Amino acid sequence: MKPLPRDMRRAWRRTFAVQSLWNYPTMIGAGLAYALLPLLRSVNAGNPPALEASMRRHLESFNAHPYLSAVAVGALARLEFDGVDEDEIRRFRTALRGPLGTLGDRTIWAEWRPLCLVLAITLFGVGASPLVCVLAFLVPYNIGHIWVRLWGFRRGWEHGRGVGRLLRELPLDRLTNRLWPVTMFLLGAATVLLGREIVETAGPSAESLPLLLVAGLTAVPAFRWPNRFGRLAIGLLLSIPIIWTLLALAA
Amino acid sequence: MPLTELTLTPTAWLLLVALGGLLALDGVSFPQVMVSRPLVSATLGGAVLGHPGGGILVGAVLELLSMRHPPYGAAKYPDTGPAGLVAGAAYAAAGAASIEALVAALIGGWATGWAGSYAGHARRKLNGRLVANTEALAANPKRLERLVLGALAIDFGRGALITAGFLLPAALVAGLAAGLPVTGGGAAFGAAALVTALAASIGAGARTTAPDARAWAMVLLGALLTVTTLWGGP
Repeated sequence: MKPLPRDMRRAWRRTFAVQSLWNYPTMIGAGLAYALLPLLRSVNAGNPPALEASMRRHLESFNAHPYLSAVAVGALARLEFDGVDEDEIRRFRTALRGPLGTLGDRTIWAEWRPLCLVLAITLFGVGASPLVCVLAFLVPYNIGHIWVRLWGFRRGWEHGRGVGRLLRELPLDRLTNRLWPVTMFLLGAATVLLGREIVETAGPSAESLPLLLVAGLTAVPAFRWPNRFGRLAIGLLLSIPIIWTLLALAA
Repeated sequence: MPLTELTLTPTAWLLLVALGGLLALDGVSFPQVMVSRPLVSATLGGAVLGHPGGGILVGAVLELLSMRHPPYGAAKYPDTGPAGLVAGAAYAAAGAASIEALVAALIGGWATGWAGSYAGHARRKLNGRLVANTEALAANPKRLERLVLGALAIDFGRGALITAGFLLPAALVAGLAAGLPVTGGGAAFGAAALVTALAASIGAGARTTAPDARAWAMVLLGALLTVTTLWGGP
């Protein structure tokens, strides 16, 4: 039995709302069941008890990166259509959780998104218009985003149970190893360019270069103690109006 | 600046509140195309009030300040959509021209982001209650479809409420700050503190992206080459 293309498209579109019911006990379990529903209805057409049983197992706890949840939707739908045993579907579902979460966090949240963002901020720093900068982030980022959802859904459906091996064989580690130095380099450039913009906003009393050099020295220990220096950053931001008020009172 | 010069009209306020709801939705629920990043949302906020350039400056700074909070699993992280929107709009409403308003807008955005985060935490708990009866949902899948629509509406409302609650106060504070009698030394201190905060934040945030401490070498290389290009010429 094969699903209708219309149901496949509907299930894929629903992966965009997979986190709409995110909650602590089952995380995206309900969202996954929602995305699978058009295909579960198709495979269990005319058999309400079977639909209820399949819904029950897919409402259980599940988690994945939202974009890569399309892999799970495709693969789990394939297992349902192949008539695989309920226990095996549960085991497969559990096995998918870890890899789909860590892979997405590592490649999309930690690499792809920061790269696109710092590229856009760097463009802003060199004088590109706000519209160009925003598009320079949104367009490449979402080309990658939509590709991951499409690729994941198709591959999940094609490979079914074998999708785990496919994920292991993906060259994503090699890709992230190449991306992070570029992201870090651009991050340095973007920070200096943005720093210059801030200093210019402060007016002629502030001189860019000495300020940027002093600030740059702060970044180095922040790599060693990220949490402390992250809090320091917010503390500094909050301290500025206090100091200004004190200066105004003293004057 | 006198508060009467603030450019936040009731129509603009309503538009921004609706945008806040949409941007909050994009953050987690739907569709995660990242219009909720501060770089985009603050530019939108500034653009609504006629200062997209000021908006993107606030957004870029907020972006780098929030870099150390990636949205991993159940972690708490700022709700960057309304945060950027409020910060960008507040800075634009105050004229988008002074370091004082910039700092005030950033603080307003930062507070909005964390208020949104705590509201998001409450929403996650509410969602847990909504889907607790899995037997009923399995027996009646249409109910699950209705719940998804309801959850999207709740998330939209959460973002709109957060934006409505913070937008006007942030704009007023930014307007008041723009009128502060800050001296040249005070402005220089503000710029120095802000740039140092940015540097500390990117150092902290880089750890979420790069695999090890080699990251700092690449960041410094990028920074030094840019400094050399900007200030090293004849």
